[in-house]
Amino acid sequence: MKRLAVGLFGALFLAACGTGGTTSTNTAPKSGGTLKVALNSELRTLDPLKSSQVVERQVYYNMYDSLVTIDQSLKIKPGLATSWQYTDPTTLQFTLRTGVKFHDGTDFNADAVKFNIDRYMTTPSSTRKSELASVKSVEVTSPTTVVFHLKRPDASLLAQLVDRAGMILSPAAIQKGGADFGLNPVGAGTGPFEFVEWKRDDHLTLKKNPNYWVPGRPYLDQVIFRPITDSNSALAALRTGDIDVATTNSIADKDIAGIKSDSSLVYKDVAGLSFAGFEVNSASGVFADKANRQAVAYALDRGQIIKNVFFGVHQLSRGPIPPSSWAYDSSEQIYVKADPEKAKSMATGFSFALKTPNGPVPIQEATLIKDQLAKAGITVNIQVEEFGQILTEAESHKFDAALVGWSGRIDPDGNMYGWFHTGGSFNDGQYSDPQVDSLLEQARAVSDQGQRKTFYDQAQQTLVQDVAYIFIDHGPAQDITTAKVHNLPLIADTIDRFAGVWKG
Amino acid sequence: MSTAYGAIVEEDVADAPISQPTSLRGLFRNYPRVAVASGLLLLLVLVAVLAPWISLHDPIATDPSNALLSPSGAHPLGTDELGRDLFARVIWGSRVSLPIAFVAVAVGLLVGGAIGLAAGYRGKLTDLFLMRLIDAILAFPALILAIAIVAALGPGLRNAMIAIGIVQVPVYARLMRAQVLTLKELDFVAAARALGASPARLIVHHFLPNLLNPLIVQISLSAAAAILAEATLSFLGLGAQPPTADWGYMMNTGAGFLNNDPWLALGPGIAISIAVFGFNWLGDALRDALDPRLRG
Amino acid sequence: MLQYLVRRLALMVPVAFLVSLVVFSLIHLTPVDPAALMLGEERTPQAVAALRHELGLDRPLPEQYVTWLGHALHGDLGRSIRTDQPVVQAIFERLPATLELGFAALAWSVLLAIPLGTIAALKRGSPIDVLATGFTIAGVSVPNFFIGILLILTLSVGLRLFPPGGYTPLTESIPDNLHRLILPAITLGTVTTAINTRFTRSSMLDVLRQDYIRTARAKGASWRQVIIGHALKNALIPVVTIIGIQVGSILEGALVTETIFSWPGVGKLAIDSIFGRDYPIIQGIVLVIALAYMFSNLAVDLAYAWLNPRISYT
Repeated sequence: MKRLAVGLFGALFLAACGTGGTTSTNTAPKSGGTLKVALNSELRTLDPLKSSQVVERQVYYNMYDSLVTIDQSLKIKPGLATSWQYTDPTTLQFTLRTGVKFHDGTDFNADAVKFNIDRYMTTPSSTRKSELASVKSVEVTSPTTVVFHLKRPDASLLAQLVDRAGMILSPAAIQKGGADFGLNPVGAGTGPFEFVEWKRDDHLTLKKNPNYWVPGRPYLDQVIFRPITDSNSALAALRTGDIDVATTNSIADKDIAGIKSDSSLVYKDVAGLSFAGFEVNSASGVFADKANRQAVAYALDRGQIIKNVFFGVHQLSRGPIPPSSWAYDSSEQIYVKADPEKAKSMATGFSFALKTPNGPVPIQEATLIKDQLAKAGITVNIQVEEFGQILTEAESHKFDAALVGWSGRIDPDGNMYGWFHTGGSFNDGQYSDPQVDSLLEQARAVSDQGQRKTFYDQAQQTLVQDVAYIFIDHGPAQDITTAKVHNLPLIADTIDRFAGVWKG
Repeated sequence: MSTAYGAIVEEDVADAPISQPTSLRGLFRNYPRVAVASGLLLLLVLVAVLAPWISLHDPIATDPSNALLSPSGAHPLGTDELGRDLFARVIWGSRVSLPIAFVAVAVGLLVGGAIGLAAGYRGKLTDLFLMRLIDAILAFPALILAIAIVAALGPGLRNAMIAIGIVQVPVYARLMRAQVLTLKELDFVAAARALGASPARLIVHHFLPNLLNPLIVQISLSAAAAILAEATLSFLGLGAQPPTADWGYMMNTGAGFLNNDPWLALGPGIAISIAVFGFNWLGDALRDALDPRLRG
Repeated sequence: MLQYLVRRLALMVPVAFLVSLVVFSLIHLTPVDPAALMLGEERTPQAVAALRHELGLDRPLPEQYVTWLGHALHGDLGRSIRTDQPVVQAIFERLPATLELGFAALAWSVLLAIPLGTIAALKRGSPIDVLATGFTIAGVSVPNFFIGILLILTLSVGLRLFPPGGYTPLTESIPDNLHRLILPAITLGTVTTAINTRFTRSSMLDVLRQDYIRTARAKGASWRQVIIGHALKNALIPVVTIIGIQVGSILEGALVTETIFSWPGVGKLAIDSIFGRDYPIIQGIVLVIALAYMFSNLAVDLAYAWLNPRISYT
């Protein structure tokens, strides 16, 4: 019976990963082989507790499992938890999967879940705290059931548990690893691949988990991640077969057309979860005046930026919620076409400093923005700075505009609340609108998707028209592989999941 | 950099005969390499001065729909990733690189010369302290110190200029000091001092004339090193900032577009090479002409 | 001689301290916050403040300097801000790659420069000499990153003969390692080849003028015997003394070359750390480079003084 349940859920899981938008599934899967994957930068840690980079997640999702997962349409699906329910708006109960073992041989159970969630919530250096902010406590009611007691209703919690905040690691491995656990997490996960070794700036090796709870998976023997920061090198490596998979954003947009026309390579993309453009300081300086913000928003030619800087690979953005989300609202037309005359009528003759990260693409974008705004009589001073410096200054609200975007979250709350709610942790521009605040709070507290969408539609319209942020583009989630790689799912969160991938 | 190829070693100055500089015309007539190298550099300076007239397009005006075009009649070197005319940008690049180099060398010369003079003239503790300072600068390979200074002060052409200037100081300090030490003990200098000649008079009438030959050579070589250093700093993103048309910075961008349009890197690269080569060649030719002992 | 050595070493101590002070203060001149950089997207003001405290970045600067110096004298240069790895370990991990590149560059440079310089000296004034002399100037004039870009453009992007970068350790695959070594080594070695050619040529010219050479020829020795038996040995002595300059040039060139070719050596680590505001790594590398360079210069000065007794030990 247990076997059947496991098999059934395993099949569901696979169906979630394996349908639609994947590389060819016509021939029968082959077992074995090593998959070489290019990451666009080196990781800092393998411990989800301290993780703060998108690129780290690429490795985590193949080593660790979370309580829940998502499918192509971003619907929440079972992971290490087989089912869940809200017994009341602030009580969330999970039924856990049985027969799962960590890579070090210890059992996955409710105690392990409690240990991990408590760890994420209480460890001083944890970067997961804001994601679990609505959780008051975790209670073990049986070896296979866990109850989350919440401080307030939180519709976005399940989505948070898909990512690092819901990743369950072996308590024994964590304790054994000690201070260097994040560099050497031996035996810590339950996922399709186990940690073997990590040589900084060189390679990170995972090997097949022979006792994975999905029968017959994974197909691959090994996955080797290599950080290749230069996109031209990544492209060359892909062409020579040095790597098999390039993760999203590791190949520059200018080279995508070349990949599409190369019959030995495969390119697929789908709208991602991110939004990009630049933050504006609504509290002080030249952008405290709404007319100035609107002038900039009208004067910008987003289509030209997307064509010239992103080579058409990105999509136009009308707001913080991307096209891949159920909460997407395409009705917002207000800033879709450039209108320098309208811009001049709102405000003209002012100047501002645009803090730009030090990289060829942001600099190209900033230069183009500068020229476009000049046509409306607005002067832009490009300030190229290290990304960390920009973040510091943005946080202390010492900026006019900063070319900073957001990688995006599965739940629309993740793209809205922290950024546009008064006092939100990413709300560097200090945008504040009581109506928007109230809408965002309500959207969190309610579970009906239709209702939530109404709130988000309204909130989005307001903050877009108020120009809380200058939205320019949404980046894609990309599958970039050689033709030998099969069955790689394409999901908007840009994570490459290798559990069902085979090479041949 | 000045620690590498071509630096005049102080021993050479100490042993060189005390000579008078030759006349300019004689220089050009007898040493054709000096004439040709000078001509090349003059051309370079002319290009920089006449840039607004000889570049047919605005170097910073973007034209996004005409990005990455190949060389053609309208755009002799094609266009860059924002549709700007590459030829114009390369021409205007000289207006950034050349002045920066000159100022940096001037800084090195004046500050270094002053330090060397003080050390040589005062001697004893002043000498000991100042020379240790110079040693501290020389403890680092020049480019690494320049990079560290700019990394600390923040990227930008002004800071790059300061950094390159600082790195040039030791050569001139040692040059001046060696000259001062050599001449200080000579009879006519002692006589002049006894007669009450001020240090300024001594510098102008006795030290400098004998220093002139190696100094001219060194300045030319320093200029070459400075242009190269500025290009390297800008290539690493530590010098010129966008949208300045600067050779080193253009190569930084161009390196990313090798697959798509090699001219973005080739244009400025050739420009840098010509400028640096010109100054190195001139310095080399002048050294052969002015100081026979150093001839190779 | 011994006196000279002792004096030089004694003088090096204050200089070394000055160097450490320079290194430390340089990096701390800007108010950029590495903690914010480290936290990336997940930064909240509380997390940033907590991290700064954890890293000791909120202590007064003089205290940070003394702490740092104390540790440094014990061989502990702190931990990388970006990767939490001990600085000393990070540097030593990457040292083999840089040493391999540096030696390869020096090796081909010497192998090419000595014959080239010799031939140019022997056939002085001929087209070969003119070309060689032109090369000695051009080699130090063309930026090494341009040479690297040209090589990538022609041999990698164009002819697809070499990969545009990357690194395979010798322990993994010798052929692959050497394949990837070629372009960066040529790039890095160009400047030293030019320098070496120039010096070989000029010192060979000096030697060839010497009487004992003419005597040997008069006695009937062939040119080859003369060159290999007498001239080369003596001509190479001055060349050895410019090794100091070459070490400096290799160190400088490595920064840019390793970056262009994604060669994971100390140079690339330095550049990445500068942009990543990784203070401990930058300090550690600059300090190590400065000390290594100082000692190599000392060795060269000693060699030069020993070989050329005319120089007084001022």
